[in-house]
Amino acid sequence: MIKTFLIGIKDVRLAFRDRAALLLMLAAPFVLTVGLGLVTGRFGGNTGSGISDIPVIIVNLDQEQLGNALADVFNSAELADLLEPAIGSDPEAARQLIDEDKAAAVVIIPEGFTQSIIPQQSDLTAGNTITTDAVKIEVYANPARSTGAGIVKAIVDEFLSRVEEGRISKTTSILQLLMSQKITPQQAIAAGEAANAGVQDNAPDSLAIKINSSTAGGEAVKFDALAYIAPGMALMFLMYTVSYGGRSILAERAQGTLPRLLVSPTSPSQILGGKVFGIFLTGAAQMLILIGASSLLFQLKWGDSIGVILLVLAAVFGATGWGMIITALARTPGQVASIGTAIMLIFGIMGGSFINLEQMPPFVQTFSKITPNAWALDGFTTLALGGTLTDLSAPILALLAMGSILFLVSVALFGKKNLVQK
Amino acid sequence: MKKIFAIAWKDAIVRFASSSELLFFIILPLVFTFLLAGGTPKADGGDTRIRLVVVDQAETTISKNIIAELERSTAVRPEILSLEEAESQFDSRRASVVLILPAGLDLQAIQDRTAQVDFRQQPNNLNATVAERAVQTAIRQVSSAVNAANLAVNDAEKQKPFASEADRQSYFDASLKLAQSIQADAPERVTVIEGSTSFEVDYDPRANASAGQLVTWVFIPLFGISALFAYERQQGTLRRILTTPTSKATYLLGTIAGQVVMALIQMSLLILFSIFAMKLNWGRDLAALFIILTTAALAAGAIGTAMGTFIKTEGQASGLSIMLGMVMALLGGCWYPLELFPPVMQTIVKILPTTWAMQGLLDLVLRNGGLIQILPEAGVLLGFAAIFFLVGMLRFRYE
Repeated sequence: MIKTFLIGIKDVRLAFRDRAALLLMLAAPFVLTVGLGLVTGRFGGNTGSGISDIPVIIVNLDQEQLGNALADVFNSAELADLLEPAIGSDPEAARQLIDEDKAAAVVIIPEGFTQSIIPQQSDLTAGNTITTDAVKIEVYANPARSTGAGIVKAIVDEFLSRVEEGRISKTTSILQLLMSQKITPQQAIAAGEAANAGVQDNAPDSLAIKINSSTAGGEAVKFDALAYIAPGMALMFLMYTVSYGGRSILAERAQGTLPRLLVSPTSPSQILGGKVFGIFLTGAAQMLILIGASSLLFQLKWGDSIGVILLVLAAVFGATGWGMIITALARTPGQVASIGTAIMLIFGIMGGSFINLEQMPPFVQTFSKITPNAWALDGFTTLALGGTLTDLSAPILALLAMGSILFLVSVALFGKKNLVQK
Repeated sequence: MKKIFAIAWKDAIVRFASSSELLFFIILPLVFTFLLAGGTPKADGGDTRIRLVVVDQAETTISKNIIAELERSTAVRPEILSLEEAESQFDSRRASVVLILPAGLDLQAIQDRTAQVDFRQQPNNLNATVAERAVQTAIRQVSSAVNAANLAVNDAEKQKPFASEADRQSYFDASLKLAQSIQADAPERVTVIEGSTSFEVDYDPRANASAGQLVTWVFIPLFGISALFAYERQQGTLRRILTTPTSKATYLLGTIAGQVVMALIQMSLLILFSIFAMKLNWGRDLAALFIILTTAALAAGAIGTAMGTFIKTEGQASGLSIMLGMVMALLGGCWYPLELFPPVMQTIVKILPTTWAMQGLLDLVLRNGGLIQILPEAGVLLGFAAIFFLVGMLRFRYE
């Protein structure tokens, strides 16, 4: 046991003394994380936490019941965090602001909008359900801010659907009463006038389909884009570390130190165990250093610390399995380096380190399940979103299973002869 | 000339001594190009609407109509999942809002006023605020006629109670028909006009992936010239050249020329792949293409040469080449469109040769440009090549 431990510690020290290895183990993931943070605007204040304070300009030329009501919606307390409304008076000037990318959208409520919706007395008595020609609200949308503009349009839609439902309800009710001769035309006119007075309130208090709204417990969590980028890069270069460790086994065989160890009272399983232990420790140290550095320098919150540590250990275990299998299959240290780097890059792209897996074709998403990157990244994302250890059972079990299977296969591939022969 | 050719040929033999070099020379670049062509954001930035997870347990006309209305929303993008998957995503906070349309959600339930849906949201989430409004709009669109008929029946009952349930139902049916007719005749009351905001993201996933991966996978081995120097220095072969009548310039020229020719062959293979497999039009102006590829390769080769004069070991040179190559490719817009970077970053990254190489290639394959359009980029790349080659020349030592 002590021999295994000592061999492992020796390999960790060798790895952290190798400047060339440190470049890819620590410097590369760190620099790439910074690079991705810069290009995604994370260091410019954009934390990727979603939508808020959408700048919108309201030009109310209607200045009547419905126009004012819509303007009030945009200025309501309920939408205060979502929108940043401004009042405009000149439609052309407001459109110009959109063209200059100063806001997400302009809502222009034209003159006569209210009049075009509220049915006239003559319409009701004549049974005409269509009011005067529709005067349309204009949403002048900024194509560069399509999400914000889409939300503004949806708010207008919601307001109009309420107004329209009220109009349909009252018109249907009055006309049906009139047609079934339950009221006289004079009563219909009076009811119509009463309805017109509060047309925007005519929509039923409750929807025909009740919405049972519930809010999950816990605190609100804002997702930081860097919480996806940093583990993605760390996991990609973890694959380098495990192949680097595997390479040292073949390098020792080539240099003759491995056969020498085998003639000492040290069993092959102790040597192999020590080597694996060394790879595992090096990988874990690499991940924890990167996590510590990003927490300190970027104030990145990785989430539940026990969950982070256990996930790191599971991820390193899974990745070590891959390192061992590469080593078992390769014949020279050079081959391990080449195949290891290739697998590092392939697992990086297929495991979601470069691009969110959801954007990848379905077959890549399926294939990603064989990579430790995908499982571990899934776990780190869960933690960053406020999850705890209990939410990590799937990724941790998958990583442990992956490591165990790969380790057993690599042990079967490693024979004593294979280890000793140059 | 013969010496230059001999040095170049020797480097090619050294580089391809292991068949695994083919992995990096052609196989991985093709895999990355293929994957990124399908995986990067679409030209319009993709569907940026807020994701709304919907569970349709009802599978009725009403539930399908609600989903269809949500599809039309400009704010949310419904995604149908099973209850189990939706709850799993909600519990792990992958979904900020979940709408569950339960079994039994049909016309009768609306008429009986027992219809309901479940809307689950994460705490203090603005996405949920937007999604709830979109759901309300969709429900109103689907149920407003039934709601209007229900209210008409109520109003009628206030005037005079119905004689029988049949009368009541008959009144409801007539009201529903009238309400549906009024709803169908309702005019469009909002119009959307797209502003002329300058937002030209010249972007095609295939073209960007092809050009970007070409730059990435060619720059990394060219930076690797530094590893070649370190290797020869460690092996002592550089010292041996001292004993031959070979000048520094001849040696460096031979090394760079060999690597640049190999890079041109690699780029040609990648371009042929993207022409035949991805239907990209790289052949619009072959002279311009040759110039931009050659100047890009010269710039990267010269940087590799300069790096080789600073780095001592092959391992360090190799690691640094991979790291610098990846970082420069990332910042040069080879993985993500430059137009999506923050404005300040778009300016800063102009100091990188990858930015100019990428823009030159995009001029040709994406913007239908020709020789005139790529001249500025080619000029800058030549400038990079001249500066770094000079640095390499001045600092180069055999020992």
